[in-house]
Amino acid sequence: MAEKAVARETLFVLRETIARLEGRPVPALAAAAGEPGAQGFSEGDMPPLPIGIAAVDEALEGGLRRDALTEVRSQGLRDAGAATGFALALAACLREGEEAAPLLWIGDTVAGLEAGLPYGVGLKGFGVDPKGFLLAAPRKLDEALWLAETALAGAAFAAVVLEVRGNPARFGLTESRRLALRAKAAGRPLLLLRQAGEEEASSACHRLCAEPAPAPARPLPDGSLLGGSIGNPAFRITLEKSRNPAPLSFVLEWNAHDRRFFPVLGQPDRRFPAAAGVHPAHSGARLSASADRPDRAEDMGAVLAFGARRRPA
Amino acid sequence: MRLTALSEGAEALGLKPGQGVAEARAMCPGLEVLEEDAAADRHFLEAVADWCDRYTPLVALDGTDGLFLDITGCAHLFGGEEALLKDILARLRRMGMDACGAVASSPGLASAVCRFGSGGIVTDADIAGVLAPLPVASLRLEEETVAALSKLGLKRVGDIMTAARAPLARRFGAFLLLRLDQALCLDEEPISPRRPVASLSAERRLAEPVVAEEDILALAGQIAVSLKPSMEARGVGGRAFELVLFRVDGAVFRICAGASRPLRDPQRIARLFSQRLQAVHDDLDTGYGFEILRLNVLHHEAFEGTQASFGGDRQSEASLAAFIDSVSARLGADCLQAFRFQESHVPERASATVFAADGLAAKLKASGPETPRSERPLRLFTVPERVEVLLAEIPEGPPQSFRWRRQQHRVSRSEGPERIAMEWWIDGLETPTRDYFRIEDEAGRRFWIYRQGLYDETPSPLWFVHGVFA
Repeated sequence: MAEKAVARETLFVLRETIARLEGRPVPALAAAAGEPGAQGFSEGDMPPLPIGIAAVDEALEGGLRRDALTEVRSQGLRDAGAATGFALALAACLREGEEAAPLLWIGDTVAGLEAGLPYGVGLKGFGVDPKGFLLAAPRKLDEALWLAETALAGAAFAAVVLEVRGNPARFGLTESRRLALRAKAAGRPLLLLRQAGEEEASSACHRLCAEPAPAPARPLPDGSLLGGSIGNPAFRITLEKSRNPAPLSFVLEWNAHDRRFFPVLGQPDRRFPAAAGVHPAHSGARLSASADRPDRAEDMGAVLAFGARRRPA
Repeated sequence: MRLTALSEGAEALGLKPGQGVAEARAMCPGLEVLEEDAAADRHFLEAVADWCDRYTPLVALDGTDGLFLDITGCAHLFGGEEALLKDILARLRRMGMDACGAVASSPGLASAVCRFGSGGIVTDADIAGVLAPLPVASLRLEEETVAALSKLGLKRVGDIMTAARAPLARRFGAFLLLRLDQALCLDEEPISPRRPVASLSAERRLAEPVVAEEDILALAGQIAVSLKPSMEARGVGGRAFELVLFRVDGAVFRICAGASRPLRDPQRIARLFSQRLQAVHDDLDTGYGFEILRLNVLHHEAFEGTQASFGGDRQSEASLAAFIDSVSARLGADCLQAFRFQESHVPERASATVFAADGLAAKLKASGPETPRSERPLRLFTVPERVEVLLAEIPEGPPQSFRWRRQQHRVSRSEGPERIAMEWWIDGLETPTRDYFRIEDEAGRRFWIYRQGLYDETPSPLWFVHGVFA
């Protein structure tokens, strides 16, 4: 009886220590505080912003954190457009209805040369009002980190997007932890856009890998789709860092008018090759692209766990 | 080769400026002759002029070896004109310069008394008495005029002071009379100072020089506190500030900092300078320390004093302005940019960037972009990149596949073309029209590709990628 009590006591102390290390409130106090506390957020924390899609919100444990570092990664500079679009879509969500709330974009010089600079007219069409949009062009990584820190500390921006290229050695766990603490203290989100980067341990509460996905067609007024058209942009998002042990993948479509994400159904379940120009050596089964059909030829030798589903012609 | 300047020892030996070098060497075999470096002399004179800034901001150069200082209203700060003159000459002598000075009511008189007389203070009562025995050359006339006057026997200023004015003007021109009137203090002659005079200025003179940066910043903050009442009295706030640091050995450093909105708060002014000092840290050589610090307000604007609202939205605007100020101070004004839209259908001209510091006030009035007919990319290349296209439908079709950055992209869907003709009034009549396509490849990447030129105009037009979509 006494050993059980001692064991329970030890267990409680260990739970308390772990909760304190992870920054969550102590379970006993949380249970006393009531429902919001028990979910892992204290009254001081800001409630997360839900994306609007149940599966995604559940995977993100409520949604986007409004006072933490979120990382969006792209696997190559070819996919820079998709990653930028997704990061800016998240920033537009975080702006939360105040249309002209300021946003800061801290760009990277190499990424700017290789993938281009943000375009004002395009931003407006994407749902991000260019009126409160500030672009920063630091020359070195130190300047970029200082800019991010100052922007967060001043709490002047609704969201700060920091673009880095690759995995620079000067931006490691310590620097990301510092930025995360600054974001938490100021109550402002920081979106880290890692172009052509590898997975790296950082203090981001979520790490999302953004890949391009074929866009759904434009809807016509009578409900059907306009074949051959390119509609709202779509992204394939893989949630790499979360409580779930396996990475989860979703295909989301961004509606610029409503500033919301919608799930895209009916996407084929295969991954497109990410490496440059990989085509099977024996291209016997490749058919030429038809004149006005969006279908593509199947590549040989793909092994799929579930049967391939073709897109409707 | 002639001698242009001599040291005291050389003058004591009887050498005169204008003498030939060979003759001088004959008179004194051990003479050391250095080549004249006019640029270095001027640089040195300007450094001394900077040093004289501690007495008055109105300092002008007089020829190659003199300075005019306008001490109207400053003399009482140093205990009177005589004390000021003695102080300047003593300090210059301590720094190793042989200087003579004079204080008078006009620059002409002071220059005459200093160069050809014995210097000192000339009161208004005895102007004529002091000026009369001086030679005519002291009136800063041209050499021919001086020669002509001396040929006529008019060797002293006293001779022409009492002469009839009309014949003199007829013979030698009006310039002679102008100079005479300036020397007699009958004509105003303003000096043109080297630097623009700040509208507001406050300074601190220290008994012991400061070396540490934190002390400099703390003192700057205190000086800003003393500037605040005068700014409030005028209803202005400063947009451009200058911190002038006078080092003990005479060097002067100026640090400028600008603000995007009129500032009055001493803490924000001090913060501007702390960012600026971090940026110019390496250029600032503190040496043995700074003994005088002065804060100038170079440019001020009307201060819109607004009452803080309970809602706190003023707070965010103020913190945005503070962020822009600190970034401009630390990284330069060109680091932060905002969008400015122009009425142009050419994509690269429709959206331009303007520095955030300048655009802050005008930003809110700016109109948004016009909605173009088709969608525009999220990221635009500054210079469109060439792609290789082998097959495309003629005359208006999209490419079937293209090769960009050594990677083949197969086109699965496309929207377009959107024909954009270039602005003939800017680019000329020969610039080819562009047909833009919004293209999606197999992987789902979306590009904005254009063909430069129509098929009738050019047999094989070039294709470029101008931007990427999300």
